[in-house]
Amino acid sequence: MTQQNRLTSGGRIDRSTPLTFTYNGKQYKGFKGDTLASAMLANGIDVVARSFKYSRPRGIVACGAEEPNAVLQLGATEATQVPNVRATQQELFDGLVSASTNGWPSVDTDVMGMIGKMGGNMMPPGFYYKTFMFPESLWDTYESMIRKAAGIGRAPKEKDPDTYDAINQHCDVMIVGAGPAGLAAALTAARGGARVIIADEQNEFGGSLLNSTEQLDGKPATEWVRAVVEELSTYDDVLLLPRSTVNGYHDHNFLTIHERRTDHLADIAPVNTVRQRMHRVRAKWVVLATGAHERPLVYANNDVPGCMITGAVSAYINRYGVVPGNELVVMTTNDYGYQAALDWADAGRKVVAIVDTREAAVGDRTEAARQRGLNIISGSAVIEVQGTKRVTGVSVAGLSASGAKVIGSVTKLKADTVATSGGWSPVIHLSCHTGSRPVWSDSVVGFLPGPTVQKQLTAGGINGQYETAVALQEGLDAGQKALAEVGLAVADVVLPEAKTLKVAAPMSLFHIPHLKPTSQAPKQFVDYQTDVTAAGIEIACREGFEAIEHVKRYTAMGFGTDQGKLGNINGMAVAAKALNKTIPETGTTVFRPNYTPIAFGAIIGRNAGALFEPERYTAMHKWHVEQGAMFEDVGQWKRPWYYPQKGESMQQSLNRECMAVRNAVGILDASTLGKIDVQGKDAREFLGRVYSNAWAKLAIGKCRYGLMCGEDGMVFDDGVTACLGENHFVMTTTTGGAAHVYEWLEIYHQTEWPELEVYFNTVTDHWSTATITGPNSRKLLEELTDFDVSNDNFRYMDWKQITVAGVPARVFRISFTGELSFEINVQANYGMAVWEKLIEAGAKYGLTPYGTETMHVLRAEKGFIIAGQDTDGSVHPYDLGMGWCVSNQKPFSYIGKRGMNRSDCTRANRKQLVGLKTKDPKQVIPEGSAAVLDPNGPKPLEIQGHISSSYWSETLGHSIAMGFIKGGLDKMGETVYYPLGDGTVIEAEICSPIFFDPKGERQNV
Amino acid sequence: MSDLNNMTAAESAATKAAVMNQVPGPEIEGQSPLHHADLASLAKQGPKTSGVHLRELKLLGHLTLRCNPANADQLAAVERVLGVALPLQPLTSSENGNYSIRWMSPDEWLILVPGLETFDIETKFRDEMPGHYSLVNSSGGSTVLELSGENVVELLKKATPIDLHAKSFPVGKVVSTLLAKSTATIRRTGDQRFELVIRRSFSDYIWLWIQDASLEFGLVVEA
Repeated sequence: MTQQNRLTSGGRIDRSTPLTFTYNGKQYKGFKGDTLASAMLANGIDVVARSFKYSRPRGIVACGAEEPNAVLQLGATEATQVPNVRATQQELFDGLVSASTNGWPSVDTDVMGMIGKMGGNMMPPGFYYKTFMFPESLWDTYESMIRKAAGIGRAPKEKDPDTYDAINQHCDVMIVGAGPAGLAAALTAARGGARVIIADEQNEFGGSLLNSTEQLDGKPATEWVRAVVEELSTYDDVLLLPRSTVNGYHDHNFLTIHERRTDHLADIAPVNTVRQRMHRVRAKWVVLATGAHERPLVYANNDVPGCMITGAVSAYINRYGVVPGNELVVMTTNDYGYQAALDWADAGRKVVAIVDTREAAVGDRTEAARQRGLNIISGSAVIEVQGTKRVTGVSVAGLSASGAKVIGSVTKLKADTVATSGGWSPVIHLSCHTGSRPVWSDSVVGFLPGPTVQKQLTAGGINGQYETAVALQEGLDAGQKALAEVGLAVADVVLPEAKTLKVAAPMSLFHIPHLKPTSQAPKQFVDYQTDVTAAGIEIACREGFEAIEHVKRYTAMGFGTDQGKLGNINGMAVAAKALNKTIPETGTTVFRPNYTPIAFGAIIGRNAGALFEPERYTAMHKWHVEQGAMFEDVGQWKRPWYYPQKGESMQQSLNRECMAVRNAVGILDASTLGKIDVQGKDAREFLGRVYSNAWAKLAIGKCRYGLMCGEDGMVFDDGVTACLGENHFVMTTTTGGAAHVYEWLEIYHQTEWPELEVYFNTVTDHWSTATITGPNSRKLLEELTDFDVSNDNFRYMDWKQITVAGVPARVFRISFTGELSFEINVQANYGMAVWEKLIEAGAKYGLTPYGTETMHVLRAEKGFIIAGQDTDGSVHPYDLGMGWCVSNQKPFSYIGKRGMNRSDCTRANRKQLVGLKTKDPKQVIPEGSAAVLDPNGPKPLEIQGHISSSYWSETLGHSIAMGFIKGGLDKMGETVYYPLGDGTVIEAEICSPIFFDPKGERQNV
Repeated sequence: MSDLNNMTAAESAATKAAVMNQVPGPEIEGQSPLHHADLASLAKQGPKTSGVHLRELKLLGHLTLRCNPANADQLAAVERVLGVALPLQPLTSSENGNYSIRWMSPDEWLILVPGLETFDIETKFRDEMPGHYSLVNSSGGSTVLELSGENVVELLKKATPIDLHAKSFPVGKVVSTLLAKSTATIRRTGDQRFELVIRRSFSDYIWLWIQDASLEFGLVVEA
């Protein structure tokens, strides 16, 4: 294929480096420096998409972020598929594979096209909502068909092979946009010694200067750009970010930048490189130098491929050496539109006419065109375009002075390209992100950034200043202002000389009238990506949608991936006309982050795969892994759940582990329990205030179980606390509750009782805990210590400082299984050493490692609660049958006392924790099941409570359950029923939750 | 010290806090939180030059002191024990030979000492410190990673929102902050060198994170 639209010279492309790319299965050539769009235009590709609703052929309109049509699917393999890539922003690389997404089965032969042509008027706004909503059950079917036909990019079905990450940045001045204004600001700020970040979405800095033949200091403007970039790159404190879109501007001058580091190199990022990076910037001052987007005019059939905006035409010619057609008609409301005609003529192709909607406008550019002998038709407009897959001609007619009506006769001209300019819309998106409402300017004919509370400056096109000399000056001023604001001296910068051109006043015109009323004229598109027409907006207004936000939602204007960058202002103008209001009266929609779409990968960054969520390990984790343990997530901890042996089912493992504890000895890694060191002379008093039970008399060397309640009297954590010294305690908490309890203690100390002399420190990670439990546990411990651990010398609920396996340890004789137990705590660096010794010495006693599930079964056999499983924030100690753990004799109150004595907490018939024994001993009631008194009673059945813990007990040979029953503590022996989802009902008897060893003899041996 | 397990009532009342030498004899080797990563072997195998260097300063004594910075007697006691004053200025540190002190919060400091000196120093504190304070041995609960190299700042910028520019993070500064999805107490010890105190249970995650995030710079593990 030849690049028939490529010029032989000029532009910023490297003709010595040809690149091959694929579009819709065909191979084409382009050059290094091309975008995918410029290469497509060079190859004469007219149709790049089918439109969303009407399936009309669409071509490339623009050359930047505002492009609505050339939104393609990229990727050579399934894993590297990227949807919604704007061809105008995708740099070409060798081997790039792209495809259009709209159009089914293809953009050239399209099923939906028939509907678009024949059924145009049958598809008003809201068409899909109105037509396909009935019957509602079929919407899913309709939707998938519509989506397939309308064509929206698709996500890859395979794992993304690339790496993404995020980085935090700080600077004095963040400059957004590296056009003339941004570069002048950056140069000033950098010379003044500020920490500067300058980001631009394009592959090189220069902005509008890259697209023009403008001169600075009598040399090509790009020379100045090169010199500035060179100087900026010499400063240590200046970060240059090309290919980086500032996508979000958030409160407190926090900005998010999406940097594409390798998208221009290949389908997959080179080894060990990051494909895209999100910069999270905290800037003291922000300079927005984001420029402006040109507005196309709205006229009949303005979506036929070949219809473009004038600035894009100039950019393709000057920057890429591509003339996107042969015969050009320009329609403009302002002087800038003339530039495209001048550039087109310079490229040696035919300018058919410049149609100026104004009468007798005189500016330097209009005069240049006149002197070139170009055909200027004043006071007129292109009211309609001919052609389907490419423009073939235009209809030109005179306009009334206001531009509201067509007057005079229609002339047809032959042309293949129509470039229009309705003026420029400042790129105010980022300024809107922070909540600033834009302000309409009649002189600019556009919205300007509104008042802001951010430390924000603006310069150049965003202020409606489109002359390079003014943009440079505004950039310099912003740079100096930022320097002053951050406390730095004025910088010495001399701006290059730019030619100032005389500019005639633009005309405020958006929607070109047709001979027929809008509703009957050929379609006049406002928003290409969502297929919103001027007629559609008029209908929306007629149907009563007056607020612009409602018009937007009803018509879908601005809802595309381009966020209506081209069309929104035109749409507001059409709505304003239909509502007989001015544009500022009609109001504007605002913009939200992100400015352009971002790959999910860039948002997720490195937080994927193994790094998705931290996994917390104990000192013995490696041993558990080597034993083939299955793990349970408890908070971020990985806890051994059970240790399956070969061929065992989970239940078989649990049965084996349970029986080993009951008959021999088991070992549990209990290191994850929260541990808080409490010191100070008021430590004991503090414990008495945060626990419901009493602590005044706990002696050194003793342990005690405690319940912790919220102000409402509801239990939120529990655990054993040991008295280590007169002023020294160590508290244990649940694994998941550790952080909350620690904060709870600090909050109460710092805000309520600062007079108490007590300090808290978390020591969870410092201690490793190996719990040995079972009738053989003492024999095992005896082997590894010289200390007398007999029942006489080491009582139940004692702790001792002894040496175990050669390691100094604090051993707590406490039990969560009901068996004789020792919890051996050693400094975690020695946890594994002690664990391995225990395992080695324990073999002859039948030592069996067990996990959290067995722990749960064993404690349920004893009726011990688990805070968070048998409590849910709505149960107080009495509800749990744990009134023994509440002391109302304490001189000072305790947290929860008032709460648990409220009338609702002391009333009869509260749900209370009881045991449940099934009539059929083999049946295990599913946790969460609801209890009823009569499963056959009138519906809805009154629910009496629910099951909180339920297991098979191998020890007892029947199932066991704990659950809540209204007034349950007074209903021992009564029957309740648990209807299940499958229609069956489990019958159970209310009983004590202590199923095993009710007198607690086993732990006291 | 009296035998905690067999105390008279008088001894018991006098025992304000339990202090315990938690380090066994040299026949039992301690396993630092990154023991399983076998950094020593990686140090032998791996590249010798790269943008980021990692070294675990393992098995140090970590003591957390909480006391009253307005109590001159306590401040003097600290100086008597460590030969260096507590850094009272927020986010700073002080050091004396092998001892370093990090400011953690207005009434909290982290003292790092050689592992075998921990019990000695703890005991000296118990003898010297007057008034209300707490001293907690947390040596098993954390470890120290030293990160250095020409890309170390870039690497850390990926993990923490703190500004690491030398102007706002000079040598000696200490910040307890986010480190990726975990936390660390970061102290700058050189132009391109930092010490991170990290928690034991998160150390494997942080180790994985550092390996992943340093791929583009290369990582040298030092023993």
